[in-house]
Amino acid sequence: MKGAPFSFLRLGLVAQNTLREAVRQRLLHLFLGLALALVLGARSLRDFNFGAPELKFIADCGFGAMTLFGSALTIAATAQLFFSEIENRTALTLLAKPVWRAEFLLGKLVGVALLTALFCALLTGLLAAVLWVREGELMALDPEGFRGGRAVSYAMVALGGWLQWLRLVVLAAFTLLVASFARTQVFAVVCGFGVLVICHLQHLAQEAYTRAGSAVGVALGGLFGGMFPNFQVLSLADSLAAADLPAPGTMVRLTAYGLGWALAAGLLAVLSFRRREI
Amino acid sequence: MAPALETRGLVKDFPVGLREVKLRAVDHLDLSVPAGVIYGLLGPNGSGKSTTIKALLGLVAPSAGECRIFGRPSGEVAARRDVGYLPEAPYFYRHLTGRELVGFYGRMCGLGRRELAERVETVVAQVGMTGAADRAVETYSKGMLQRIGLAQALVHDPRLLILDEPTAGVDPVGSAAMADLIRGLRDAGKTVLLTSHLLGQMEALCDRVAILDRGRLVAEGTVAELAGGTGRQQLEVDRLDEAQMTELRAWLAVRGRGLHGVAAAGRGLDAVFLERVGRVKGEGKEL
Repeated sequence: MKGAPFSFLRLGLVAQNTLREAVRQRLLHLFLGLALALVLGARSLRDFNFGAPELKFIADCGFGAMTLFGSALTIAATAQLFFSEIENRTALTLLAKPVWRAEFLLGKLVGVALLTALFCALLTGLLAAVLWVREGELMALDPEGFRGGRAVSYAMVALGGWLQWLRLVVLAAFTLLVASFARTQVFAVVCGFGVLVICHLQHLAQEAYTRAGSAVGVALGGLFGGMFPNFQVLSLADSLAAADLPAPGTMVRLTAYGLGWALAAGLLAVLSFRRREI
Repeated sequence: MAPALETRGLVKDFPVGLREVKLRAVDHLDLSVPAGVIYGLLGPNGSGKSTTIKALLGLVAPSAGECRIFGRPSGEVAARRDVGYLPEAPYFYRHLTGRELVGFYGRMCGLGRRELAERVETVVAQVGMTGAADRAVETYSKGMLQRIGLAQALVHDPRLLILDEPTAGVDPVGSAAMADLIRGLRDAGKTVLLTSHLLGQMEALCDRVAILDRGRLVAEGTVAELAGGTGRQQLEVDRLDEAQMTELRAWLAVRGRGLHGVAAAGRGLDAVFLERVGRVKGEGKEL
């Protein structure tokens, strides 16, 4: 009899099933609803703009909603979709088939990545629509201010959504890595949020250690830098202008950075899950 | 020809508590299940049946010893191509319909689209679920879950079936139909490894049984070897009155034999139930 080589088809089937299961979860509906409400309501919140230009404020609100609710959704969905398989023993039936554990686990990761892609695409599209409409209104009110045409670069908005998705995929991979050895879902969720904080703030810690000049601090900063990705790398410059669009090479590097981290965490999760007793 | 299943010196320890004291679930188990038989694995709760099955399916790693499926180490993914598994109290993806569920597992086993459609229809009909196949699994009763679970185990036409408590939660009509189906699988050349607490059913169904206790094999053989051998026989005769009974005793005594028990022969509650509720054999072998 032939062997059973690793199959991307089986991985895809697990991913498809994971996505189908995920879109039925109330948790997704809740976070998606909250994020949509925040993006749509950004115009009503413009009194709190702290002096930022209105369109920039709306964009910040949109990307903020994606970060906040996207991260919460990613961590919760990854942990829940993994542990539901273990606790409901559906993994038992599936892994009793000629299925590699790597196919199962990476399929889960791809399923969550597809879920977050839908989330980011929906919110980015909505944000672009809100910006387009408001920009049109502002152009009608102040034609002089928009003499050169539209000021917002919608390509920049799309790139922002893409980088946001990369961050969520990395976060999903780290949460899955913890889940692969964790005994409880709560532990995986708490660790997932811990990873989120570290990835967002590690650049500050590294700067502080470097400023302090402490060898131990620099070593610690280097250690964290080696163990966790820096989410600040995956953010665009503080601008919506087309003139600030990053070069294609930069986007390729950023994409490789994000997917590289996700793949590394995913492979570590596979290694850890290989010996887990189901 | 390699046995369908084989364990040699199988040991499985589980670490327990903070100090990770070892709890031995399976203790030097040697089993050999020949191909083409119904083999019963019996034992009280905690005797190591489920752990043995998990080790055979590569779901837990043995602490020592080895397991083989048709000669292949069971840790190899390819070994599981020949196995269909129905877990105890199965729980499936609730959002899928029965047909989608069986199709999903079929595709995971590598069936192509055309072959898959045929196999799904065949096995869904085989377990009597055609009428409910397009309903979501979340609406299924316990018995229906067992049936669709059996269908997913059969979908890729494996040579070996491992059925863990297949009649748990199934009514007597369903149990009888399940027993018929298992016999049919054996007659079609499949090997069936079965666990159940219904000893009567196991006795009637199994060609060979192994009894485990605290992870050790305490008995193994055919049902006749294990349960027979009392040197006595049961005769079923028309009702005798007191005088005839006395005469029979005397007749036996002359020949050095004794009458050890007399009981009215009943049809058994099972038979009455199946006859009254009965849609077992006449109606598409519904489980």
